[in-house]
Amino acid sequence: MSEVQAETPTVADFARTFRRIQAEIHKLIIGHEQAVEELLSALFAGGHVLIEGVPGTGKTTLVKTLGLALNLSFNRIQFTVDLMPADITGTRVILSGDDGRREFTFQPGPVFCHILLGDEINRATPKTQSALLEAMAELQVTVSGTTYRLKPPYFVMATLNPIEMEGTYPLPEAQLDRFLFKVRLNYPDEGELTRIISSTTGPEEAGIEAVFHATEAPERIEALKRLVREVMAAPAMEIYAARLVRATQPQNSRFVADEARGVHDEMVNRYVMFGSSPRGAQALILGAKVRALLDGRANIAREDIERVAVAALAHRIMLNYAALSDGIDAAHIVERVIKSVRAAQV
Amino acid sequence: MSSPSQDRRADEKLGQILGRVGSVRTRLNSLALQHAIFYTLAIVVAGGAAVFAGAYLLPPLAFLVGTSALVIIGCAGIARAVGAAWRMRASAVRAAAIADDRAELKGRLSTIVALANHQTRGSLWSYLIEDTLGYQDQFAAARIERRRVSRAIYPLAAAIVLAAVALPISKIKHAPQIAPDSGQDDLTVDLDDLHLRSADPGDESGMQVTADAATMRRLEDKLARESAAGGAAGGNSLSQLVNRARDMAGHLQSKLTGQQMASKQRLNLRLADAGGDQDQNEIHRAPETQKNRHSDIAGQFEQDQPKSNQGMNLPPEDDSRRPNSQPSPSGNGESGAEASSGKDSPGNQDDSATDREIQQSGENGSNGGAAHGIGADPDSLFGAPAASKLGTEGFEIAIEARPVDHGAKGAGHAYVAPKVRTRLSPNQEPDEPVARAAVPAEDRTTVKRVFER
Repeated sequence: MSEVQAETPTVADFARTFRRIQAEIHKLIIGHEQAVEELLSALFAGGHVLIEGVPGTGKTTLVKTLGLALNLSFNRIQFTVDLMPADITGTRVILSGDDGRREFTFQPGPVFCHILLGDEINRATPKTQSALLEAMAELQVTVSGTTYRLKPPYFVMATLNPIEMEGTYPLPEAQLDRFLFKVRLNYPDEGELTRIISSTTGPEEAGIEAVFHATEAPERIEALKRLVREVMAAPAMEIYAARLVRATQPQNSRFVADEARGVHDEMVNRYVMFGSSPRGAQALILGAKVRALLDGRANIAREDIERVAVAALAHRIMLNYAALSDGIDAAHIVERVIKSVRAAQV
Repeated sequence: MSSPSQDRRADEKLGQILGRVGSVRTRLNSLALQHAIFYTLAIVVAGGAAVFAGAYLLPPLAFLVGTSALVIIGCAGIARAVGAAWRMRASAVRAAAIADDRAELKGRLSTIVALANHQTRGSLWSYLIEDTLGYQDQFAAARIERRRVSRAIYPLAAAIVLAAVALPISKIKHAPQIAPDSGQDDLTVDLDDLHLRSADPGDESGMQVTADAATMRRLEDKLARESAAGGAAGGNSLSQLVNRARDMAGHLQSKLTGQQMASKQRLNLRLADAGGDQDQNEIHRAPETQKNRHSDIAGQFEQDQPKSNQGMNLPPEDDSRRPNSQPSPSGNGESGAEASSGKDSPGNQDDSATDREIQQSGENGSNGGAAHGIGADPDSLFGAPAASKLGTEGFEIAIEARPVDHGAKGAGHAYVAPKVRTRLSPNQEPDEPVARAAVPAEDRTTVKRVFER
C-alpha cells in the first residue's frame, strides 16, 4: 500500500491515481484499455457501468480486480431467474437478542457495499432487476418502509451476456438509463490472448496492490469524485453535449417537441426508435470531465465529449427492427451523430 | 481552495489572457471589416468599369439590360460580402474558440472567457488560469491570425487592374459614331415634314428652334394634334416602354461617354411653314448637306404619284403618315411604326403597289431606297428628267443624331430608329437613287424589258 495524495487532490493527483489504478487492473486484465478507462471514468464520475461481453472476456475478473485495487468492500450477485428483490436489498428477519427477546431485524443484502457486481443481470426478472434502481440512483434502499442509506462511494457494475439470450430478460429502459456508461468487452487480439495465456496458466498469480488504504479509500475516492465535479464546462461544451443528445432522437418521434430545430441525421430517423434521455447529456459531461482531468486540464473540450460519447449514449438509444435487420448497432449511430453535429457546428 | 492573494494574482493573469484574446478579436474583426470594404469596393470598381465600357461598346437597350443586371448582381454581391463579413466578426467567445482551435488549447480560452464574469468559478479556476497562461505564446494574436490585411484585397486589386485596362480599351476600340463636327449646325425644315412629340422630361438637348410667330403657332397646334393622336392611338405600351427605356439608356450612355451633348448643341432648327407664301415644298438645308445629296427624286414623285405633291398640302397628320416620313428623332415610334408596318393611312389608300414598295423600302432608312422602288415599276420607268435639287418628299430630317440600333424592326409598332445624318466620307457616295434621266426613245423598249424581267 502506498500514500497517494493529500486531502485536497489536485489535477495531477487525479491523473496519477487514475493511472495507478489502471496499472493495477492491467496486471490481471490483458488488453481492454479503453474498457478499463471507461470503467474508471464512470467510477470517478459517480456513475455505474454496464459491461457487455461474450463469455470468457474477463468481465467478472475486471470487476473483482477493480475492487481489489480500490480496496473497497466488494459484493457479487449472480443473477438468476429465481432471484428475488429481497435477496439483493436484504430483508427483515426474526432474531433473538441477548435478553431472549425476539424482534425483526434488518439483514442487509449484498447491495450494501461499495462495489457491487451484478453478474449476468439480464437473467433475473425485471422485478428483481428493478430492485437495484433505488440503490443506483439514490444510494439508498427501502425495505418494509424503512430507508437505509448506502455508504459512498457506491459503484454498481452489471455484466450482460449478449449471445445467450434464452431465458433472459432484457433490461428495461429505465434500468439501462441508470448506467452512466456501457462498456463493451470484445475478444482479445492474438497478442493479448498470448499474454493472457502466459499470465494465467503459470504457477504465479499476479498480485494486485491496493492503491488506497482500506480506511481512507472511500474518502479519497469521494474527494477525487468531487474534483471531477469541479472541472469547468464552458456553455459551448454544454450546448454541444445537448446537441449530440438531441441528434440521437429521431425527428418522427412523438416525444420530440421541436423536431424542426437541431441537427438530424437520416440514419437516426431510419433506425432509431427512441433516442437518448437527458441522462445521456449528463453522462457526456461527467465523462468528459474525467477525461479532461486525465489530460491535465480543468476544462472540458469537445474531444473529451466525443471520446466518451459511444459509452455514454449507445445503450440509451433504442433501435428499431430495421436496424437489427440491417446490422446497424447503436455505436454506429452515435458515431454518425457525432459527425453530423460536428459538421453542423463548423 | 485558493486564498485571496491567489485570487488576486489569478485575476491579474486573467487580465493578461483576456487582453490577448481581445487582441485576437480585434485582428479578426479588422479582417472582417476589411473583407466587407474590399469586396464592396471591388464590386463597385469592377461594375463601374463594366458599365463605363458598356456605355461605349453596347447599343442602348443592351446597355440598359446589362447595366441593370450588373446593378442587381453587384447589389447581391455587396450584400453577400457584407453578410460574410458579419458572420466573420468575432465576439470574445468566438475569438477565444478560434484561438483554441488554432493553438490547440482544447477549450481553455473558451472556458476562461465564458466563465470570466461568473461569480462562482470553482476551485480549479486558478489552476485553469495558470495552465492557460503557460500557453500564452501560442495564442498571441500574430500566431492565431498572421494576416493583417484581408485576402479580399486581391479581388479589389484585380478589379482596379480590370478597370484600368478595360476603360482605355473601350475608348480605343470604339470611336464615336458621330463626327465631332457634322456641319449640321443650322437646319431649315418645313413644319409639315416634322413629326413631333413632347420632349422627355429632363431632355436638355439644347436644340434651338426658331420660326416666325405664325409658324410657331402652327407648331404648337401640330404638337397638340400629334400628342392627341398618340394618346388616342394608345399604341403598344410595351413598345413605348422599350422606347422610353432605350432613350433613358441612351441618355445615360451620352452622359457617361460625353458624346451626345456636343452633337445636339450644334443643331439649330429653323422652321418654315409650308402653308405660307414661300415655296411650300422647299426645305432649305445647310449648303454642305445639300452637296451630299445630289439625287433628286421629286420629279419621279411628280410624275408617278401626283397625289404625293398634293400630299404636301394635306394637313400635317396626313402628311405624317407618308411612308417615307420618319419619326421624330426623339423616338416617336408611333408614326414610324405605322409606316414600317405598312398600315394604310387614309391619304394613301388610293396608292398603288408602288406606294407599298415605298413603305417597305422606307425601312431601309433612305429616300434612295424608296425611289428605287418607284423606278422598278416598268410602267413608270420613263418621265421627265429630274431636277438636281431634292424635292420636298425626298429626304427626312434627323433632329437627334446619335447611333442607335435597329432592334424590334419587325414588330407591329416597332421602334424605327431616327435617321443619322452625318457628313459623308469624301470617298463615299451617298446612298441615293440615280436621278431620273432622259432615255432615248429607241432604248426605252430595251430598258423596259430589262425591268420587266
